[in-house]
Order: sequence, then C-alpha cells, then structure tokens
Amino acid sequence: MNHAIETLKLNRTFKIKKAKDKPAPSFITALEEVNLTINKGELFGLLGPNGAGKTTLIKILCTLLLPTSGTALVDGVDVVKNPALVRRRINMVSGGEHSGYGILNVRENLWMFSQFYGVPKKIAYERIDTLLKLFGLDEFAKTRIGKLSTGMRQKMNVIRGFVSDPEILFFDEPTLGLDVQIAREVRKYIANWVKNNSQKTVLLTTHYMAEADELCDRIAIIDHGKVIACDSPSNLKKLLRKETIVHIEINLTDENFEHFSQLPGVKKFALEHKHNIGRTELKFILENDSAISQVTQALSSNGSKIISLSKTDPSLEDVFVALVGRSLESEN
Amino acid sequence: MKTDLKTNLKSIWARAYVRIVGANREPSWILSETVLPLLNTAAFVYVYKALRAPEEYIGFVILGGAMTAYWMNVLWSMASQFYWEKEMGNLELYLIAPISRMSILLGMAIGGIFYATLRAVVVFVFGSLIFRVNFFISGVVELFLIFILTMIALYGMGMFFASLFMLWGREAWHTSNLFQEPIYLLGGFFFPVKTLGYTVAMFASAIPISLGLDGMRQLCFKTGKTLGFLDVKIEILLLLGLSIFYIWISHYALLFMENLGKKQGRLTLKWQ
Amino acid sequence: MNQNFSTHTKTLKLASWLGWKMESNWADWWIFAVYSVVRPLASSMILVVMYWVIAKSGNAQASGSYNLTFMYLGNAFFMFVGNVLYGVAWTIHEDREHYQMLKYIFISPAKMYFYLFGRGTAKLFITVFAVIATIAFGMLVLKIPIDLSAVNYPMLVLVTGIGLLGIAALGVILAAVSMVTAHHSFYLTEGVAGLFFLVSGAIFPIEVLPGWLQKISLINPLTYWIELARRYITGEKMCQVLSSISNLELFFILTLSTLILVYLSVIIYRFFEHLAVQRGLIDRLTNF
Repeated sequence: MNHAIETLKLNRTFKIKKAKDKPAPSFITALEEVNLTINKGELFGLLGPNGAGKTTLIKILCTLLLPTSGTALVDGVDVVKNPALVRRRINMVSGGEHSGYGILNVRENLWMFSQFYGVPKKIAYERIDTLLKLFGLDEFAKTRIGKLSTGMRQKMNVIRGFVSDPEILFFDEPTLGLDVQIAREVRKYIANWVKNNSQKTVLLTTHYMAEADELCDRIAIIDHGKVIACDSPSNLKKLLRKETIVHIEINLTDENFEHFSQLPGVKKFALEHKHNIGRTELKFILENDSAISQVTQALSSNGSKIISLSKTDPSLEDVFVALVGRSLESEN
Repeated sequence: MKTDLKTNLKSIWARAYVRIVGANREPSWILSETVLPLLNTAAFVYVYKALRAPEEYIGFVILGGAMTAYWMNVLWSMASQFYWEKEMGNLELYLIAPISRMSILLGMAIGGIFYATLRAVVVFVFGSLIFRVNFFISGVVELFLIFILTMIALYGMGMFFASLFMLWGREAWHTSNLFQEPIYLLGGFFFPVKTLGYTVAMFASAIPISLGLDGMRQLCFKTGKTLGFLDVKIEILLLLGLSIFYIWISHYALLFMENLGKKQGRLTLKWQ
Repeated sequence: MNQNFSTHTKTLKLASWLGWKMESNWADWWIFAVYSVVRPLASSMILVVMYWVIAKSGNAQASGSYNLTFMYLGNAFFMFVGNVLYGVAWTIHEDREHYQMLKYIFISPAKMYFYLFGRGTAKLFITVFAVIATIAFGMLVLKIPIDLSAVNYPMLVLVTGIGLLGIAALGVILAAVSMVTAHHSFYLTEGVAGLFFLVSGAIFPIEVLPGWLQKISLINPLTYWIELARRYITGEKMCQVLSSISNLELFFILTLSTLILVYLSVIIYRFFEHLAVQRGLIDRLTNF
C-alpha cells in the first residue's frame, strides 16, 4: 500500500543573491535530510517556529518547488517526475491567502476553483452550498469577496480546499490570524473530514501547539529544516515522563539567564518575555524535583522576584524546549 | 485523456467567466476601451492627412489601429496577467491544479477577446465611417483565414511571453513594456510593413501581426496588393507555420520556465 | 505651516526615491539605460517611417512648416505626457492592488497629492533621458536639422518645467479617477494620452483637424507647451494657427492654463478621494 506522503532524505537550499561586498553568493538550508512517512487517513502535523521549513516542505509536496535533492512521493507518485499526477490528488490552503477575484462573489469564486479540478457543475454547487452552510457562510454566498471579513475570507479559503474533494489536503497555517471561535470551527471541520473519510489525509503546518495537540494523529517537530522528532502527541509528551517540568514567572527583565542551563539538575531551559503583562516566563526541564530548589535559589540570588511557580504535566511546548532548547512561543 | 480534456475545457470557461462577469460589473472600461483608442488612431490618420498621403493610407491606419486592441490584450491582459495573479496568490493555486497552464491563459484570452473585439470593432467601424474609408474586399475566405491564423499565432506568442512570469516579476513586466512600441513599429500597425525593406520586413514577419496586417490590407484595399510584402497565399502558409510554432514553443517555454522557477524557488515569489 | 512644508517636501523626496527604485532596480544599469531609450526610439521611428513612406512615394505635399522636424520634436516632447501621466496615475492601481500599500500611505501624515507628484518624478527623470537620447538620435542618425547654438536653453527649461507641472496635474486628475475605477483602467492612461496626442498638435499641425477639434486643441495647455518648446529649439513658429501669437503671449497662456489645471487637480482629487473613502475603495482589489 502506498503511503499518503513519503519523503526520503529531502533537501532544499536557496541561493541568496551575491551582495556587492561578498565574494560569493550564500545559501540558506530550508530543509535538511527530511525523512517522513505519512499514512493514508492520518491527520499529520508539522510543528515548528517561523522559518523552520514547514512551508518549503508543503510547496515541494504541492509541486510548487523542486527539492535540491532527495525524493518526495505523494500517494506513491514522485512530485518531481510526475507532478501532473500528483496534482489530481491534492489541494492546498494557506493561512492569510487572498486568492480569488474581488469582482466575483463567494459562490462564484468557489465554483471557479472547482472547475480547475473538473468537478461537474451540479456536484460543485451542491458541495459549495453544503460547505457554505456548514461554515455559516451561506448568508454571504452572493457577497463579493472583497467585502468579507478576514475570518470569513479564510473560511472561504478552507472551503475551497474541500470543494475539489482531494485525496490529500495540505493546510499551511490554516488558522493564522483567526479568532478563537472561527479557528475552532475550522479545526473541527478538518478533524471530522479525516475521521469520516478513512482514505483522506491532511498535512497541516502550524506553530500553534494547542492546535497540533488537539488535531493531529501524529506530529513532526521541525526546526532549522530538520525533523527532530516525529510521533503522536501523547508519545512525544511521554519523552518527558521522567523529567520535572517547572514554569516560573518572574518580573520582566532583560537579565541574561544563559548560565541557568549549567545549574545542576537543569536539563533544558527556555525563556519567554511577555511584555504585555510585564513578566518573563522561564520554562525548565529538570532531572527531578530536587533541582527546583537550585533554580529558585539561583533566581533569588539573581535578584529576580518570583511571581508564580508551577509544576506541570509535559506539553508539546515543553517537548519543543527539551528538544531544541528554545521556547517555540517566544520564537513566534 | 477525455477527463483531462474536459477539465481543461471547464478551466478555460471558468477563467473566461471571471472576465466576462467582470466586464459587466465594472463598466468603467467602456470609455477607455472604445472612445479613447479611436482618438489615438485618429491622431495617426491626421499625420497622413497632414502629409496629404494617398487615401488608402487612412484605411491602413484604421485597420492597424483596430488590430492594436488584440496586441494590447495579448500583452497586458494575458501575458502580464500572470504578474498580477502571482501577487494575488492565484498563480500558485492554478499551478497546483491538474490543468494545463495554457488553459488558464486561454481562459484569460477568451475573456479578454470580448473587450479587445469591442475595441477593435469601434475603431474599425467608427474610424471607417468618420474618415470615409473605401474597402475593396478581394477574398472573404482568405481574409477570414488570415485573421483567425493571426489571432492563433498572436495569442500563442502571448503565451510564450507569459512563461517569463513563471520566473520573473518586475523584470518580465518591464520586458513586456519594452516590447509594446517596437512591435507597433515592426508590426507595421500604421504603415505597410514592406516600407521597412525586405530584410527588416522578413525579420518582422516573426511577429504574427505583421503578416496578418499585411495580408488583410492586401485583401481589403484596392491598391493593397501593390503595397503588400508577400503574396497572400504565402502569408497564410507562414501564419499557419507561426501558429504551430508559437503554440508549440509556448507549451515548452511554460514548462521550462515553470521548472526553472521551481528550481530557483521563484515560481511563487511575490513582490519581486 | 513650516512643519507642513517640511512634511510635503519629505513626501515628495521619499515618493521620488521609491518611484525611482521601482522603475530601475530590477536590472543592471546598462540594461535599464537601453530599456529606457528603446521604447521611445521605436515610437519615434513609427512616425519617421510614416513620413518616409509618403515622402518616398513622392506624394508628400505637406505645406507650410510641417515637416519631419515638427513631427519628431513634437513626438519627443509628447513622451513626457505619456510617461508622466502613467507615472502618476498608475501609482494608484500599483500601490492599491500590486503592493497593497495604498491604505498605509493614505493613513500616514503624508499627503497623497504630493506622494503622487513624487512618484511621477521618477518617471520624469527617466523621460528626460529618453527625450534627450531621442533628439540626439534624430540629429545624428536621421539628420534632423536642429541648430544647437540657436536653442534658447533658459526658456526651454522654464517652459518644459511649467508644462511638466501641468502634465503632473493631469496625472493627479487621472489618479483621482483611478481611485474609483477597477484595475483595467491602465488603459485609461493610455487612452487619455491618446486623446491629447490628437488635440495637442504634437505630431501634425492642428489646422488639419476639423473646426471643433481645433477649438478643443486651443483650450489644451499642451498645445501651447509643445509649440513653445519647438519654437525655443528651432527659433521658428511652427504651428500656423498659433503663428500670430508671440512667444511671450504663448508663455502667458501656458502659465495661466497650467495654474488653472493645478487648481482643478486639487479640487478633483479631493472629490474622488472623498468618494473612494465613502465607498470603501481605498484597499479594494479589482484585478480580474
């Protein structure tokens, strides 16, 4: 049986135009030796900070970009050798996209996109009307898309992805910039779609931990173009079952905490400045509970005022900190 | 195969629909696409009038002025449209769809031909009436054939230009801009292409509209034949060759440039 | 007052710089230089070939002062019209739909009116280069007789400046209209330039036009501008209809009509800007 998606030693580098003062052009590695296998019927998440390589991977899988080396298969079809066959099986939705024509209304735009996939007119309209109703956009079916709010526009984009009824659907940050309610609706529909269609697959990129945790059967954590972990959310969290996770909030400070990672018992550590509430959050992955006192003592001697301290169950964010040594939220 | 054809036909119609509906909903184009081009053509008519040129030259300009509509449509509403589609985020959605890129371009062209034809008809009909142009049609079938072949070759050439936008943005836009006037010159829009001399006229014949206009002028005006560059039958054959050539080369150019764009990561790069 | 002046100057400067970058930084300088002259040269050559084809056939019986110099110089100066109109008016669609920046410029303290002028300036500088290259090509290659020692340079520069101010004001009027029209109005700029091509006596003397078009030509400031520019270059009165008017009188008419045009552009701009805000059109996307 073919996997929905398979990548083998996938690499992609981008050449940066030579600057006048540099002797040669430089290169950026967007993907490095990426090996992934995604099964049919899976809702798979790619989690990583901005610039980690998530969109690059999606673009390669959607036939919009060629890999520098390596292989990428979509439903067993090579994206480089046979892109036309890949395109029959896929669709893609990006967060914050502005596709479509302002001159057309919502229903017309969706119909237009469905025609690029050869969907018969009657079926296309049936699907469009059903989806518009499901997403609460039926009232706006005849509204020109330029008059839609950001949330409505993104709902329309998501519908566009489903209208062609693809085998594999790529979502690149589908809930980017959406309010909580709309993001929840979008997530719910994506999850149900995969659940109710055992052969359909979704590959979703996000930098929202909660989204990945809630939606995905499996997650690959990607950083600087490398896949650093790949498993189900629960298994990923189990990586930290022996460690102690402590979150400490202190008053906002520019203090350098780098030496904290050298403290006895501290395995990994990350900090995040929360300027809006005037606090700095420190996330510690500790070997055991006894290391907590070491940390609090160090903070006191540093002159930091501890506002709160909590020992928590591991989250995907903690997994990221443990694997990368940085906080994903602070990156974003 | 049959499904592919059906999907591509549907795509052509879907993309053309946008333009047709757009024309209805944004009627501000009517003035700029009908009255104003007629005035621009009239300026060239008055140059000949000021030079007291023979009457048929007025007809030549009117015919050339009408045909500018198609050249403008090819250049700005088809080839360069990829520039805008890229910025709007539509291009990548076209590219991941299981259709030929030529279907999208053809859809744009068919939608755009609606405006272009209206512009051409206004310039041709009103220009002919206002300046009392005398026509002497010597071959309706040949005239029809030459017009159709010119259109096919011209739009094929436009698709070839469109391939530039797979890799470039502003560079390709400026390249299109660069071509506008030189093609007016080499295309012989306002004078018989024969005037440019045999060598230049042969070179200019690579532009479908040069041969098309020359042939049409020979078939529409009494003295057209004497001012014609090549025999109409040869021009029809050459246009047939150009039609096949441009469609063939644009097919491969689109594939080649798309691949190059994918390799360099510039296929969907915005604000270049 | 002083602060306003300083803001407007900064806006003009910034917009000119931005316009220049947009126009030029897509290519190496020499490609850009070639690009900047090929199009104007081709457009001039169209007229030259039209002239030659009639002259060669022995049919040319043009009377009076109408000759290749008239046509060539008029066309060279008319390049300013097409390019500056385009440079100013196209800014609206380019910034609104392509770069999607119009709304941000609009809400800044910078006045759009000055911003538009600034954007046109870049195109103006490129056109100056193109016009000089075109005239030089005409003199050196086409042997168009122009006596450089007879040119009244100070007056030519002054008159060109006044004319360009008027053209930029026309551009602002077109930009204002573009605020409420769809993207396809790119053709509007071309079309309006075409209209002025017909009624400015740029490439043929206005006396060949029917009476009513001659009257329109006589209320068009560009007619006086192009005639004055020709006179200061050749030292001859070239348009017969205007031959009874002295240079000074023409200069006065040009200055007055330019001032009226600038005033009109402010009023018209305000009207369309208000309309665009009222209808919520500042950030719409209309491309299709």
